[in-house]
Amino acid sequence: MKEYLKYAAILLGLIILQKTFVSFIDVTEFRITPDLVIIGLVYVGIKKGKIPGSITGFAAGLVLDIFSFSFIGLMALAKTVSGFVSGFFNNEQKIERYLNSYIFIIIVSICSLVNNSVYYLFYFQGTNLLPADIFIRYILPTTVYTALFAVFPVLFARRRRFAR
Amino acid sequence: MKILLSYLGNLKEYIIFSALIIASLLLIFQNDNIQVRFIRVIAVNVIGTIQDGYSFIPNIFELERENKSLRESNIELSKELSLLKESKLENLRLNSMLEFRQRTNYRVATGKIIGKTLIQTRNNITLNIGEKDSVKIGMPVITDRGLVGKIVAVSANYSIAQILLNKDLKISVKVQRSRVDGILAWDGEGKVRMKNVSKSADVKTGDIIITSEYSNTFPSGIPIGYVTTDNTLDNLFKNIEVETFVNFETVEEVFVLKSLSDDERRDLEKKFNEKVK
Repeated sequence: MKEYLKYAAILLGLIILQKTFVSFIDVTEFRITPDLVIIGLVYVGIKKGKIPGSITGFAAGLVLDIFSFSFIGLMALAKTVSGFVSGFFNNEQKIERYLNSYIFIIIVSICSLVNNSVYYLFYFQGTNLLPADIFIRYILPTTVYTALFAVFPVLFARRRRFAR
Repeated sequence: MKILLSYLGNLKEYIIFSALIIASLLLIFQNDNIQVRFIRVIAVNVIGTIQDGYSFIPNIFELERENKSLRESNIELSKELSLLKESKLENLRLNSMLEFRQRTNYRVATGKIIGKTLIQTRNNITLNIGEKDSVKIGMPVITDRGLVGKIVAVSANYSIAQILLNKDLKISVKVQRSRVDGILAWDGEGKVRMKNVSKSADVKTGDIIITSEYSNTFPSGIPIGYVTTDNTLDNLFKNIEVETFVNFETVEEVFVLKSLSDDERRDLEKKFNEKVK
């Protein structure tokens, strides 16, 4: 329970960061920002598996939806799917390896790609943007930008490991 | 049951995941913006395609309902068809009678046959017109095809007519072509015969028989039937069988000619006959 509260606190912190600080570091003309919440979500998925991953994704996505003032449910859907995908990397023997190495960045990239694909492909339905344009302008940049930010928790974890 | 629960337990992750996805989609569909509308269109298309894919599989309950409904409408349509056929036939008959009514010089009353006997030696028909329609005893009854008989009883709203298939009805007739005279009567066994025609008279099969001017009841010239057989009965007379134009089994509407026999003529003939006797 304590552990889950810790995850909830981390995710809440990331959501607040996402909604406040992250908008200052947008790039490209399409105002691409990193998705910090997905990094926390992948962490939960690797540690706890598919069910906690998808439930956490749904909850976090719903909070983001509420704060985004866009249409409710889309971020919940994207985060549920990516949380579930991250649960596939839940392996008792490899958890530490995944979390403390650059494999974590790859997993974040995969989950971010899934998350962004679901989100943007739905988001731009009804517009004139082609799927290829959506991928190049939004999905790929957001994925790469998010993957860059996934480096920080890996570095942090490695430093803690060396400190021990 | 245990196996099923175990199987569901293995699928627990996917069941929860699916539930969350459905919850997300439900939330999305609560919105009403352009993206959601577009997604709804896609969803409708997808569902329509899927439904179209399995639409060939018959739904037994649906088929039963459809079958029942079709049977009911079949009965309704049959009833309607029967009514339409009836109306069409009635229309044809009435048209034909209307034409006759316009053709004839006599005043007529149109009546519907509401009763009929055709299996006795004295056959009659009952009409739905009577004294209120100025129908009187002795008036001839005809159709557009020919003679039917004459009125023998009248009440306020109904009347009874003797028809040609009645032994008591004897009519002065003649052959239209050769003007040969005779008396037409029913033999009580199924044949209408022209009697009192000498064996030398010019009567051929197919000749048309009409009412004669000698008749004090019927106006002359009303068609009755045609000759089917003209065998010689004995040394003196011919046996002439006549097929009536009117089919008494199917006739439904008739006219009553508002023409009565000439009383003066009848009285004179009566007096003369008494004097001769």
